[in-house]
Amino acid sequence: MAHDATHDHHDHHGAPQGFFQRWVMSTNHKDIGTLYLVFALLMFFIGGAFAMVIRAELFKPGMQLVQPYFFNEMTTMHALVMIFGAIMPSFVGLANWMIPLMVGAPDMALPRMNNLSFWIMPFAFTLLLSTLFMPGGGPAGGWTMYPPLSLQGESIAYVVFAVHLMGISSIMGAINIIATILNMRAPGMDLLKMPVFVWSWLITAFLLIAVMPVLAGAVTMLLTDKYFHTNFFNAAGGGDPVLYQHIFWFFGHPEVYIMILPAFGIISEIIPTFARKPIFGYKAMVFAIASIAFLSFIVWAHHMFAVGLPMGAEIFFMYATMLIAVPTGVKVFNWVSTMWGGSMTFETPMLFSIAFVILFTIGGFSGLMLALAPADFQYHDTYFVVAHFHYVLVTGAAFSIMAAAYYWLPKWSGNMYSETWGKIHFWSSVISVNVLFFPQHFLGLAGMPRRIPDYNVAFANFNMISSIGGFWFGASQLIFLGVIVHCVYFSKKKAADRSWEGAKGLEWTVPSPAPHHTFDVPPVIHDDELAHGHTDH
Amino acid sequence: MNAMVDNAMDERRKRARRTAWIAGCVALGIFVLSIVQMLKL
Repeated sequence: MAHDATHDHHDHHGAPQGFFQRWVMSTNHKDIGTLYLVFALLMFFIGGAFAMVIRAELFKPGMQLVQPYFFNEMTTMHALVMIFGAIMPSFVGLANWMIPLMVGAPDMALPRMNNLSFWIMPFAFTLLLSTLFMPGGGPAGGWTMYPPLSLQGESIAYVVFAVHLMGISSIMGAINIIATILNMRAPGMDLLKMPVFVWSWLITAFLLIAVMPVLAGAVTMLLTDKYFHTNFFNAAGGGDPVLYQHIFWFFGHPEVYIMILPAFGIISEIIPTFARKPIFGYKAMVFAIASIAFLSFIVWAHHMFAVGLPMGAEIFFMYATMLIAVPTGVKVFNWVSTMWGGSMTFETPMLFSIAFVILFTIGGFSGLMLALAPADFQYHDTYFVVAHFHYVLVTGAAFSIMAAAYYWLPKWSGNMYSETWGKIHFWSSVISVNVLFFPQHFLGLAGMPRRIPDYNVAFANFNMISSIGGFWFGASQLIFLGVIVHCVYFSKKKAADRSWEGAKGLEWTVPSPAPHHTFDVPPVIHDDELAHGHTDH
Repeated sequence: MNAMVDNAMDERRKRARRTAWIAGCVALGIFVLSIVQMLKL
């Protein structure tokens, strides 16, 4: 469909030749997408190294390897790096690469701001990680930075500034995505013809704009409490530490969905491709994402059941939280229904997607258990919570990113990856991740608190199993790195323009690898080529 | 033909900049509001 337009007009001029011009000064959405993805992969391994320290220390009871303060630094930095450095930037990278291709736009709407959005990130993380080498150490009060604990460290100013920079980057990225989707779509690409991935990112971008400034406000107040003698969160001065928790989680809960809605979009692209069927219930998928986004604003206090809320608030937040299971259930039902009766094949992206559907649902179920206020008094601050959010964020968000990488690598690089090694990576990851996180449910139910470097001997066996799973999962990701490097630089197997038999959508109409410039002339949209297949929405 | 395409693209970029300004102002407003409402003025 769009072949003629793209073939005739792409590559009037190719990518800039010099490294500095190409990568530092880039305004090209594909190059900036690549930068985001490479940066996120680097952060994934740095955050993963912190996790290895945590699991090594917890391998057996007693203090083994590190001092307690350093352990706390590791738990704090692991979360900050993985959330803000790995998961979020990788989704932004995917958005940069794929949204213009999916909606038939020549680039992001604001290319120079796109460059700035990315290049803020390395500075933010250099600042954040540098605190580990400072006298007094890095942040150790948890990624939530609750006062007064977080204010005891000397690194808080650096952390707050790093969070500000990350926030500015995220907001600029979100603004760019909204401006691109709302204004740069090819003629004929109506909103309800957009791929679900694009929809998921449009909604995520609105969430980002609504909540990142709230985080920025909260950490700014931390800073003024620490250095300018304000008393926002200081009870002795008339402030309220619990107020911080409310503000933080008003950001924090939508943040959880910022990290999972794009994953829903990715899975909604991959499953139809490998089931060779249009997505079941396209409109329902879009409305479910919007519903989840809306509900994310009215459930924040379920993170604070144990803080002492009025009974009415506990009940409201409990039921509002449980309500999220409805649109999430719609999505899981639709993914399964898409597969039902399809001509399925099980290439690596599909394997990761199926694992996502099953394991994310397990994370959702444990989330429902945590949503029950009376039960949460038992589970709060235990390893059950750790198990829950790692099922959501590792087998959910991270698996979807890996699925996306395998799915779109042929389009990005022009080469096919090694399917054998992709599958080895998948099976190694999916088994080890369960060895790693499933026993943590039992530890939490037995009462093991989170964020501690030592524990009762009663918890020894499950911790050892979990640590073995952790090292195994960490090592498995080296296979992922190897597959990517091999695919990009050494693979002899060239990718077709439409790299997967069942793939639909505009991105598969451009050559592989995607030329530096695409859709200089807007493509002609044919409804039967759209990812969701139907025209009667 | 190319001039028409360029004009349409310029128009879309102009609208995109306007969208970006609105979104940016909303973000800034939320940031200011999140602090101001705590000041108990």
